[in-house]
Amino acid sequence: MAFKRNPQVFSASVAETTIGTGDSAVTLGGENVYPFYSFDAPIKNPPLVGVEFSDKGPRRDVPGIAAFYEGAETLSDVAKRACEMPGASFVCLDLESADPNGDDMPVEDAVKIAMEVAGAVTLPLVIQGTGNAEKDGTLLGKIAEALQGKNVLLLSATEDNYKGIAVGAVLAYNQKIGAESAVDINLAKQLNVVISQMGVSNGNLVMNVGQAAAGYGFEYVASAMERIKSAALSQNDDSLQTPIITPVSAEAWSVKEAIVSEADFPEWGPVEQRGVDMEISTAAASLASGSNAVILRHPDSVKTISDMISALM
Amino acid sequence: MDKFIVIGERIHCISPEIRDAMANRDPEPILRRGKAQLDAGADYLDVNIGPAEKDGEELMIWAVKTLQENLDNVPLVLDTANKKAIAAGISVYNRSKGKPVVNSADAGERISYIDVAAENDAISIALCSKHGVPKDNDERMAYCQEMLEYAMERGMDPADLWFDPLTLVIKGMQEKQKEFFEFIRQLSDMGLNSTAGISNASNGMPKEVRPIVDSAMITMAIECGLTSAIANPNDRQLMEAIKTAAIIMNQTLYADSYLDI
Repeated sequence: MAFKRNPQVFSASVAETTIGTGDSAVTLGGENVYPFYSFDAPIKNPPLVGVEFSDKGPRRDVPGIAAFYEGAETLSDVAKRACEMPGASFVCLDLESADPNGDDMPVEDAVKIAMEVAGAVTLPLVIQGTGNAEKDGTLLGKIAEALQGKNVLLLSATEDNYKGIAVGAVLAYNQKIGAESAVDINLAKQLNVVISQMGVSNGNLVMNVGQAAAGYGFEYVASAMERIKSAALSQNDDSLQTPIITPVSAEAWSVKEAIVSEADFPEWGPVEQRGVDMEISTAAASLASGSNAVILRHPDSVKTISDMISALM
Repeated sequence: MDKFIVIGERIHCISPEIRDAMANRDPEPILRRGKAQLDAGADYLDVNIGPAEKDGEELMIWAVKTLQENLDNVPLVLDTANKKAIAAGISVYNRSKGKPVVNSADAGERISYIDVAAENDAISIALCSKHGVPKDNDERMAYCQEMLEYAMERGMDPADLWFDPLTLVIKGMQEKQKEFFEFIRQLSDMGLNSTAGISNASNGMPKEVRPIVDSAMITMAIECGLTSAIANPNDRQLMEAIKTAAIIMNQTLYADSYLDI
């Protein structure tokens, strides 16, 4: 008997969220099939790869990263260079210095940094806050105001600060926000529900449902993403029809495999390659589980993942 | 598992307000009730125009257009004894939110309503009865099989028949209730879709008791595999019971605010 193809195309689809402006603007989401199931139906917007750098500059202790940013001295130079990384669709500024548990840079200074970077980039901009609910509540609102018209994505609103960020960033200044939960599907849905109850539509929102490096509890991340996509598409749950973005680099570059020296573990090979491998395997698995975008650091990872996406589209 | 479908029952010519609105082609009361039901969580709206022997076709066309054009192409259940009116309604029906539903066929005189559905690529509610109340589940199942066969001979997908086991009033037929649930489970085991006019069970009971009885009925029926119900979505307790059952059955992902959505 001949094989009969039975495409699994859903009548529901993930909402589309666009970041950036003009020709360089990019759109996350829009698909009505499971991740990479392009054999069932064309995937409306391919998953995206973003390049992360800190306000303290790129991680120059990693030779491949140092080489890529060579000669880029100021943060503006770094931001411009990041936009040229092959495979990148957007860039992500990590406001590391603003963290109250670190340098605790004042909000006004962090806003100036965000403005400097926003003035230099040629790709859409994502800005990562400190992860401190109170600081981000103020900081992301101020950034939203300062960057009016740039259509930036601010990461992230959480259970503790979503109200201020939703009002300050989206409703007042038309930016996009991420709703962050830590591998908890019920909380992910709840956050989307309460944010939408404030008047933020799906097209202004993305989700960061949590992340873990491959081998470090990643199966929980994968199952959370799969359950969310399944509810969004097969159960037409509009409170979960929000694109997913996953910052991969911070986790991938902080696990043992990416840190311990070759001198201590000669059988593991060069440390930089291990970091790249962690970043690539985590990113590929995140995309296969349903993430619509990943944020990476190393040029080799960015190129490899973007090549993978092209090959599977 | 697919989402449980709530068919809002409140656009019914038995209501004086709706009957007048239909007679005068006044869209306002109909749209107001339609919107109230959708806001409360209805997925489909039942449009009962009564026997409508005289102007049924024109009335159904007007009702379908009025509701769909103003309420974002809401999917509809076309409910009348006038078959031509159903076909006329389907001729102007927009399918973007779901197929039209014919309400209803049975295994007796009304079996030809299945033809209306088959000819128009519609869903049909299929009442498991022939003349009056079936005496037991064997009889119900025989009618179910008859209608299934009839529909399949006409090229229908079995999923497009929503079998109605016939909800019986508790006051007076208390001993019949258990088999109602058993029959729903049989349908579910066969992979068939089902529906029920759940509030029939509480007919004749005091007003304050009815939501409690209807909620218990629907919760038990959902557990047995009921896939849709014709009900009053503006009965808050009933909708809360349906939403909670959907959570417990893992048909909807839980969130603390699940009752608000």
